[in-house]
Amino acid sequence: MAPGRPAQSPHDGGGGNTNRKRKDAPTNPQHNGPNKRPRQHIDQRQKMRIARTLSTQTTSTAFQNGALDVSSFVKSRAYEIQALENGLQRSKKALNERAFQQVPKELRRRTASHNVKRVPKRLRVRAGREMAVDNTPTVTARRRKPSGHMRLRLETVKKLRALGAKRKAEKDKPKDATTTELLPKDVQPGTVTTAIRTRIPKVKKSLLATPPVPKAKFRKRQIHKSWLPTHLYHAKRARMTAPSAPIWRYAVPLTPTAKSYRPTHRASHDRGAVAWDMSYMSTIQLEGRESSVLGMLKAIGVAEEDLSGRKSNKWRAGVRVLDAFLYERESPHELIAPVTMVWCVYDGTATVMEKRKRKMFLRVHPSAFYQLWEEMLRLAKVAKPAVSVEDLRFEIGSIEITGPGATEALLGALWPSSMASTSNDASDAAITGMDVDATSDHPRSESVGETWQKLAGLTNPALLPQNALLGFNVQDPRLHHPPRTIALLKSDAEQHKLLEISASWPVDAAQKACDIFDRKARHSASTSLPSQKAVNRRKGLAAPGEYPQALPKDPRVPVLLYSSSNATPTNSSKSRQSTAHNGSWTLLAPWKCLQPIWYSLMYYPLSTGQQPRFGGLDQKRQLAFEAGKPWFPGDFPGTKAGWNWECEDRRRRESEWRKRPRGKRVSYEKVELGGGKKGEVGVGWACDWERLLNVPPVIEEAALAGIEDIMDVDGPAEKAGDGTTPAEKAVEDNTKPAEQEKAKENILPLQATPKPPQLSQLSARQALALLASPEAKLPPHINLTSALVTVRLTLLTRGVPHPCARIYRLPTNDPDLRRQWLALLPSNLPHKKQKGSKHALPRLPKDASAHVVQQRLAQSLLEPPRAGEDKYPACPAEEDLVGFITTGNYDLGEGQGTGIGSLLVDRVRDGGAESNVYIVRNAGTGLGRLARWEVA
Amino acid sequence: MVRIKHRYLLINILYPDPKSTSGRPATKPGDEVPYTVQFRRPSPDRMDGGVLTRLIRDGVAELFGDYGSGKVAGSLQVKYFSQATSTAIVRVSRDHYRLVWAALTFATRLPNPVGQPCVIQVVRVSGTIRKSEEEAIRRARLSIRQAEAAAKSSNAATAGLAAATPQLLSTEDDDVDMINGIEDPDDPRDIEEDLDDEG
Repeated sequence: MAPGRPAQSPHDGGGGNTNRKRKDAPTNPQHNGPNKRPRQHIDQRQKMRIARTLSTQTTSTAFQNGALDVSSFVKSRAYEIQALENGLQRSKKALNERAFQQVPKELRRRTASHNVKRVPKRLRVRAGREMAVDNTPTVTARRRKPSGHMRLRLETVKKLRALGAKRKAEKDKPKDATTTELLPKDVQPGTVTTAIRTRIPKVKKSLLATPPVPKAKFRKRQIHKSWLPTHLYHAKRARMTAPSAPIWRYAVPLTPTAKSYRPTHRASHDRGAVAWDMSYMSTIQLEGRESSVLGMLKAIGVAEEDLSGRKSNKWRAGVRVLDAFLYERESPHELIAPVTMVWCVYDGTATVMEKRKRKMFLRVHPSAFYQLWEEMLRLAKVAKPAVSVEDLRFEIGSIEITGPGATEALLGALWPSSMASTSNDASDAAITGMDVDATSDHPRSESVGETWQKLAGLTNPALLPQNALLGFNVQDPRLHHPPRTIALLKSDAEQHKLLEISASWPVDAAQKACDIFDRKARHSASTSLPSQKAVNRRKGLAAPGEYPQALPKDPRVPVLLYSSSNATPTNSSKSRQSTAHNGSWTLLAPWKCLQPIWYSLMYYPLSTGQQPRFGGLDQKRQLAFEAGKPWFPGDFPGTKAGWNWECEDRRRRESEWRKRPRGKRVSYEKVELGGGKKGEVGVGWACDWERLLNVPPVIEEAALAGIEDIMDVDGPAEKAGDGTTPAEKAVEDNTKPAEQEKAKENILPLQATPKPPQLSQLSARQALALLASPEAKLPPHINLTSALVTVRLTLLTRGVPHPCARIYRLPTNDPDLRRQWLALLPSNLPHKKQKGSKHALPRLPKDASAHVVQQRLAQSLLEPPRAGEDKYPACPAEEDLVGFITTGNYDLGEGQGTGIGSLLVDRVRDGGAESNVYIVRNAGTGLGRLARWEVA
Repeated sequence: MVRIKHRYLLINILYPDPKSTSGRPATKPGDEVPYTVQFRRPSPDRMDGGVLTRLIRDGVAELFGDYGSGKVAGSLQVKYFSQATSTAIVRVSRDHYRLVWAALTFATRLPNPVGQPCVIQVVRVSGTIRKSEEEAIRRARLSIRQAEAAAKSSNAATAGLAAATPQLLSTEDDDVDMINGIEDPDDPRDIEEDLDDEG
C-alpha cells in the first residue's frame, strides 16, 4: 500500500468546537484579523477538520504506469476501506463528549463540569485541558471572589473578629494585674500548683437527653433539630429534609440525589447492599431488678408468652432481640409503636432470678418516643423495686444494612478487638452460659468476635437463628480504611462450616455482657478515638500494603449487632416466601463512633462489584413495602405517631393539589362513582378515617358521642391554626352543600384534633386471632367498631393502587353488583390456565385458521368486561367502604401493583365465601379493581 | 434550535470508453483483466473534488437555471473523492438533493481539464455521512471479493492478495444483486426515501 497523501493521525484531544461551554462570538471572516482570535481556537477547529478528512489515493500511486490489474485494484479498494474506517473512528472521537460526561451515572458529581477535582482521577488531566481550552478554569472556593450575601457575611465576621480581639485584650489586662498581686511571690504566674479534679457529674436518669453540642460553625443550623452523626456525608449526596421542616427533630436524608428506585431494589434483592443511618431511632434504657422490669413490660402490653414462656428464654438471657408492640397502660390502651427490646446478658453472680439487676434497651421510632418515654416514666415510678429509666437518644447511634452483600460489608468494616487485653474471658463466659438451655453443652472455644469473623460468605442474615444478636468490641475502623474485600468462602467444606455455625450458633454460649450497655465503655470509646492525624501517622508507619498493628491501648468500640428477617410469620402467598426473605443487620454503636464505621461501610468494595448504596427514608419505605411489611408510623394510622404522619401527608398532598391550576388538577367533586353518585368519598387527598368512622350509613351512638367529646377537647393551638383553614376550604370546594352540610360539621373539628380517640390499631397477632375465630379473646378494652388492622393487598387484575386509595368490600346490599364483581375474578374466568398476558386473551398468530378465529370471537364475547367499558361494574356504595391504602405502588418484586392499607376490622369479619376479595379504587378515579388481602 | 439537514450522495463514476481512460488493461497476453475490474476504472489524476463540484454546479445551472444553482450553491460540498476507486461522497441540503442527483445523472462528460466521457451512478442517499461511508465500505469489500473470485477463475496471479485482505472481507456477507458485475442501483431504501421526500 502506498498512500498518496499520508493518513492523518487521529486526534483524540480535548473539546471540539461544537461542544464547548463558552462559544465564540460570531465573527465575520473578512474582518477577522489574525490577532483577534487566540491561537488555540484555530488549532481546535483545524483538529476537527483534520479528524473529519478522509485520506485518499491518487490513481498514479495506486496503479503503476496506469496499468489496470487485479492486485492493484484490490489494494486500492483495501486502502479505501481502511481510510473510511479510520475516518469513522476518528470522527466519532472528534464528536467527543467532555470528560465529565464520560463518567458513569453513579460517579457523576454536581458541578463536575466546573471543578476538575470532582472528576475521577483518570479523566482529570483531560478535563483540565478542556477547561483550559474553554477558558473556564476551575475556581476553588478559597480563591473565589466572594459575592453578594457572602461578602456581607465575611465583612460581618471580620468586624466581629476585630471586636472580639479588642475585648479579649481589654479583658486580659486587668486580670493580669490582679492575679500577680494576689499570687504569692514565690509562685510564678501561669504554673499550676495542684491538680484540681473536677467532680464527675452524676448521671441524671429520668431526664430527656440533650443533643450533643455541635461545633460553633454548625451550631446555628441545629437549633431546632439535630444532625445525624453522618450528616455531612448525606448532605452532599442526598436530599435532606428542608431546614425549616425537620422530621422528628432530625435532619433526615430523604432520598439519594442519584436515581435510586430500581438500583435500591436490585441492591437489596439481587446483588449489593443498602445501608441507612438510623441514628434517629431512639433508645431507652431500663435498669433494675429483672422481675420489676418484666412487670413494667407486662403493664405496657408485652405478651405473657414472651415474658415467661419457654420460647423466649433466649431473649431473656440476652442473646436474642424481641420485636413487640407496646400499648399504653391506661385505658383505652392505645398502641404506641412496635419496639425492639434487648436484654443485657447477666454477668453477676446472683442465681435467684428476682434479685438480678439487669439492663435493657428499648428501641423505638422517634415519632413514638415521647409517648413511650412518658409511659415508661410513669411505670418506673410505681415499679417496686425501682427501675431507672434513661434516655440514650444521642448516645447510641445505629446503622441498618440489608442486601446480599450486607454481611460482607459489615465484616470489612468491623474488626473485632483482640481479646488479649481481657484475661478474665473464660470465667465470664462460664457464668453466661448458665441460663441458656440448649447450648450449654456446646464446647466454649471462641469469642463472639471470632464467630463474627467466621460469618464471611453469609449472604442472608435470615439464615441465622431468628433475631440473633452479637455483642462485641471492634477496633477503630479508620485503622483499616480504605477497607478491602474480605476473603470469601471458596470450598464446600468452608460453606459447610458456615452452615454448622448458623445451626449451632455458638454465640448463645459465648455472649457476655455487651459493653454498649456500659456507660463508661461507651464514653471511653467516644473520647479516646485518636485524631485523624494520629491515625494517619500510624498508617504511615505501617509496612506498605499492610494495615497498622493493633495495640493494646487502642480504643475498643462497643457494638451490638442483631439480625432481623423481613419475613413475617403471617406470610402466606407463595411468591413472597421465595423472594422476600432478605434479612437485615442493625448495628448499634456509640453515637460518636458511628461516623468512622459508616465511612468504612460505604467505601467497602463488595466482592460482587461496586460498593454498598445508602438509602434515605424513601428507600426504607420502599423496601418495607416490597417486603409486604407495614412501615411505622406511616402504615399505622391508628397510633398517635401514625396519625400525625397522616396529617402531615394530608397537608403536603393538599398543598400540592392546590398548587396546580384548576384545570390541571383532579376535581374530586366530579369523580363519578357509578350508580349516579358523584364526588369523592371524603377528602380526596386524605385517607379519610374520620369519614369512615363517623358517617356510616347507620350512625352509631358511640361515634356521635365521640364527636362531641372531640369538639370539647382543645387541640394544641398551633395545630388548630394550621389545620382548620385549609380543611374548611377543601370542604367548600368539594361538597355539594345540601347533603354534606352535616359532614362538614363533623369533619371540621376532627381535622383540627390530633386523633379521633376511638380510632385504634390492632397488631397483626391480635388481628389474626380475631379473624380466625370471631369469639377470640381480645383485651376487653378494644373497641371493635373502630379498630384498624393493617393489611397487604395484591391486585388481581391490572392497575396500581396509590396512597389514599379507597378499599371497599364486595357489595353487601346489591347482589347483582356483587355477582358482576365476582365474575371478574381471574379464578372464575374460563381461559385462566392459558399462558401469556394475564389481562387479556393471548394473541392469535397471523395465519390462524378460520375456525380458530371464530373460536376467539366467541371467547371474546364471553370475556368479562374490561375497565373503562360500559359493562364494567360500578364501585360499591359508601356503606361498603372499609379502609384506605396508606402505601401503594408498583411492586418491583411482585411485578404488579400492591399496596399496604388499613381496614376497619369490624366490617371485615363477616365476609362470607369470598371474604378476602376486596375492591380498591384510587382517589379521584371512578374505577375499582379487585384485590386480595391478607394481614400484614 | 433546528438542525440543518443534509443528504449525502454516494457516487460511483464509471468510464465506459476504454480508449480514453487512464487505466489500460495490462498488455501481457497471459494477464486477462476480469470484467469487474475493467468496469470500475480509476479516475484520471487531474480529476478531483473541485472538478466534480464544477461538474455538478454546471449541470444544475444547465438543467434548472439560476433557481437551481442558487438553491444548491449554499450547501454543495464534495466530502470525499477517491481517484483510485472513483468513489465520491457529495453533500447537499436535504431539500434540493434531487436537483444534484439529476445533474449527476445527466452528466455524460467530465468537464474540461479532464474531458472524458463518463457515467455517474448515485448508489446511496443517506442522511448522515456515516451511513454513506459504511455503504462505501460495503461496496468496496464486495468488489474486492468479486475481483478475487474472477481472478481465481481465470488463472490469476493474485495469489498473495488473499492473505493481505482477509480481515477486510470476512465481516460482510450479504450480496448486492449483480448482473454481469453491475449492481442493481435501485436500492429499495433509496426508493423509499424518494417517496418520503415527495410526500
